This record gives sequence, C-alpha cells and structure tokens, in this order.
Amino acid sequence: MFATSHILRGALGVSLACLVTAASAQVAYDPMRAAPNPLMPLTPMQPATTDSATPESASAEVLPNPDFGNLPDAEGVEETFYQCVACHSTAIILQQRLTDERWDYLWTWMIEDQGMYEPEDEIRDEILTYLKTHFSSER
Amino acid sequence: MTDSITPETDIEIAEKPARRSFLKTTALGALGAYVGMNIPFAENLKAFAQGMNEEDIMAGKPDLILLGDRPLNAETPAHLLDDEVTPYERFFVRNNGGVPDTALNMDAEGWTLTIDGEVETPLVLTLDDLKNNFEVITRRLVIECGGNGRAYFNPGASGNQWTTGAVGCAEWTGVRLSDVLNAAGIKDTAVYTAHYSNDPHLSGDPERDAISRGVPIEKALAEGGMIAWEMNGEPIPAVHGFPLRVINPGYPGSTSQKFLTRIWVRDQVHDGAKMTGYSYRMPAYPVAPGTEVPEEDMVIMTDMPVKSLITFPQSGTQAPAGAATEVRGHAWSGSGDIASVDVSIDFGATWIPAELEPAVNKFAWQRFRANVTLPEAGYYEVWARATDMTGEAQPPVVPGWNPRGYGNNMQHRIALIAT
Repeated sequence: MFATSHILRGALGVSLACLVTAASAQVAYDPMRAAPNPLMPLTPMQPATTDSATPESASAEVLPNPDFGNLPDAEGVEETFYQCVACHSTAIILQQRLTDERWDYLWTWMIEDQGMYEPEDEIRDEILTYLKTHFSSER
Repeated sequence: MTDSITPETDIEIAEKPARRSFLKTTALGALGAYVGMNIPFAENLKAFAQGMNEEDIMAGKPDLILLGDRPLNAETPAHLLDDEVTPYERFFVRNNGGVPDTALNMDAEGWTLTIDGEVETPLVLTLDDLKNNFEVITRRLVIECGGNGRAYFNPGASGNQWTTGAVGCAEWTGVRLSDVLNAAGIKDTAVYTAHYSNDPHLSGDPERDAISRGVPIEKALAEGGMIAWEMNGEPIPAVHGFPLRVINPGYPGSTSQKFLTRIWVRDQVHDGAKMTGYSYRMPAYPVAPGTEVPEEDMVIMTDMPVKSLITFPQSGTQAPAGAATEVRGHAWSGSGDIASVDVSIDFGATWIPAELEPAVNKFAWQRFRANVTLPEAGYYEVWARATDMTGEAQPPVVPGWNPRGYGNNMQHRIALIAT
C-alpha cells in the first residue's frame, strides 16, 4: 500500500503537458498539486534535476546524497546534516523554499527557542549558505 | 511525571477495550517482522509510531502522504477524506515533538489531569473522575492544522508544506471543557488557558515543552470545547494523543493539545512553546508577499477561516460528457456553521448551488453535493466555494501572504476529464 501511494504521488508530479497521456492511462491529475514531495523516491516521470518546482532547480547538477538524508550533495552538506538531524530529520529541510531573512530568523529561533547547539561562526556560515543556496525562494 | 515507565523490552499493545487482552513481544524488531503481514493484531500496530522506520510508522495509515518522519507529520489526499467521520486510517498526523512512551504503550496507568491557576479549587482528575463526575458527550469535531494549505504560498513559508489534507472530522467522546473548568471555578482574573502534555521535545531536553498553547478563556468556556479520551469509539490512538486530549474546535489544531496532563488557567495571554514569535500568528495588517514583519506586529490566530474540500470524485477522474456527475465534499468554518456551498465547472465564471446538509453538531463538517453536467469532451475543473453564516466566502486564490503560511482557505479544485 505504501508503495502504491508513492506511485500515485509520482503521478501527481506530471506536468500539464502530460495530461492527455495521464488521463488516458487513468492516472489522477490534480490542478492543486504542489511542489513534489521530497520524501517520494525519484521516478523517470519526475526528474529532480529538471523539474522547476524542486528545490534543486537552482543548481541543476546537484543530486541528492542518500548518506546525508537526501540533502543536495554540495559544499556544506555534511555540516548541515549533522547540525540539523540532532533534532529533526531532513524531511522538513527538503520542503523549504525561503527567503534569506527567514533562514537567518529560523537559525536564531532554533538556538534561542528550540535548544539547538550553537556551532562556531565558520560552521554556522557554511550551513546558512548551504540552506540559502539550496532551499531558497530567492534563487 | 508520575506515569509508570514500561521497560523497553516489554511492549504492550492495547487491544480494543471490549476485548482487553495484550499481545506481548520482547523487542521492537520482533514487532517489525509483523508489519505488512496479515495478522490478527494488525489493528494494534497503530499504537507504534516511534523507534521504527518510516514505513512501519505509517503502517496504520498506509494511504497518507508522509511529510516528515521525525517529527511525524502526514496528510490525507482529498479523495480519501470522503467519509462523514474520518477513520483513524485517514486522519492526518501533526506532531511537534515525539510521541510519548505512555502513548506508544497505550499505558494510562496513574494518568491525571491538573486544572490550576486562576481557579477557586484546583483539581487533579483521574480518567475515572472525568468519566464519572461529568456528563459524557460524543461530538463530531473538525480538527485542522493552522498551516493547512501552506504549500501554496509564494514565496514559501517555513514549516511542513501541507497541501489540503491536514484536516479531519472524527467523533470524539469525552466531557465539555467548560464543565471541567467551571467545576474548578474560574476566577475573574482568568485570561487564557495553557495546555501541557508529556510528549518529549525534539532536542531531548526534558526542560523544554514540544508545544504548549492555549485559548482565550472565553473560547475555552464556549460551546464545542472538549476533553476527550475516545476517537471514533476507541481509546484515542497513540499519535492522536492517548490517553487524553483537549479539543478547541474552530481554532488551529495546535490548541487541541494531545497527551494532556495539565490546563493552567492564566491571568495573562499564555506565552508557552509556540505561542510567541511567528508561531500560529498572522500579521496585524496586510503585507506584500515576502515581507519581513516585525515580531511585535504578529497577532495570535483565533478562528480558522471558512473552507471546503471536494472529496469525490478523485481529481483526474473521467466523466461522461452530457450526463450528470455527482460531485461532493465537506465544508466547515472556525466560526461554526456553513450557510452555502457553490460549485463551478467553468473556472469560477458561473456558480451552481450545491445541496448542503446541516451539521450534526456545531463544528462538525457539513456534506455538500452537486450534480454537474460537462457539456462536451475535454478538460474541466470543478471548484468549490463555501460561505459561512457571517457571509464570508473562500477566495479563489491564496489569501493574504504571511510569514508562516497560515490560514490558506483558497477554493479547492479538482480536474474532471469529460469523455
């Protein structure tokens, strides 16, 4: 059953251009589909590197790294992974597309309100740069 | 916490209360071997939501869309919310912290609820006290996450990217919140409730609350509020707040604290975890998308907006051209009952009144039905628009952008393919 829902979710990610095919194949099209769910396994119909709705679009060559919770494999991925998964899984990161200011705010909120460990400034900068690069509404 | 701790190696899975027996096993791994198999105790697996992998967590809710595995968050596709009463299997999950061991083990031994603060007589109530000393009622109440619809804000708003499925209407059994508060005697100095529970904070810090929200005392004393121990005729399942939760229907779901241990009646607006900052708050004035709103200009969300969902047919379904096709769903509002629901098959150019059933009780969702005839073969969308008793209707597009993406009640729409 779980696999079935993943397949369905994959179908929801198809573009409108695929509608005729989707309809004839009796696959549900949803006009309210949002950005693809990052927890869904990648399928040929939904390539993460070319779909403009995915967070990875800003850096088309960056692929998810399964060793680090499928975070985009780029500079800062390891530091980001270990900093964040102390409290939560990468699923919530993979869903975000925020302004730089919101990332700065969230960082402070996580330290002051949520008890996040505060790393050295150099690490902080690396992680924030990584988040702002790959999970941004600005780029 | 006085709750008994069950050793990790001794796992008890609560059966249905009518047949109170226990399946015991010696390790989570042994349980994991059962998952996915057709076993007599499959119903009981719902008790487990922690210490297992992603697929095991969702074993009891196989058709939900998983948004996060730690903390556990999952939403329901619209066409799976067609039931009048949302069953456990299709009820969304929104957790701010971990699921406490007491819930995972379905262990309510020694559980008490404290009512204190601005009251004449502080109370410490056992589950039996609640069941025996107050009128027991059953109500269908909508619970909707304040962030349902967040996925449609642009620029994005931080948090789980709920689309339309962070909502459900279950049948809850318990006592009126007002009866319990009045039994303690509310002082004139009472301003706000503050809810506490035993779910662990994500950081593991025992001094932190995963969430502690509340409502204005007027809301807590108003019709609708409950302290519940049953969901759909069974003990509230682990991920929904076993053994006790408060429900404040019409307000964001976060005011319906799970795993409830204490209601502190305060002489000021509560400032617990996720009451302050940007959490469950909206700008005090309209802002352009992406605006950085100063914290002091954010105000606490109260009533959820009027909303509806098309639950049948599933989006993308084929329908015969020139013949009537039934479209149906539910409508609800934080302010109470719905006045009307209209549907459109021409992108909102014209609207058709839907039949609307009355609510079985205040804050239950209401069934709407309409027959639509798609004139010729091709692509159509069905849009639904609910209007509440105050005359407020759902907007066709995402309403006022806000930093955390709350309160999106845009009209729901599905695709129908006429053949």
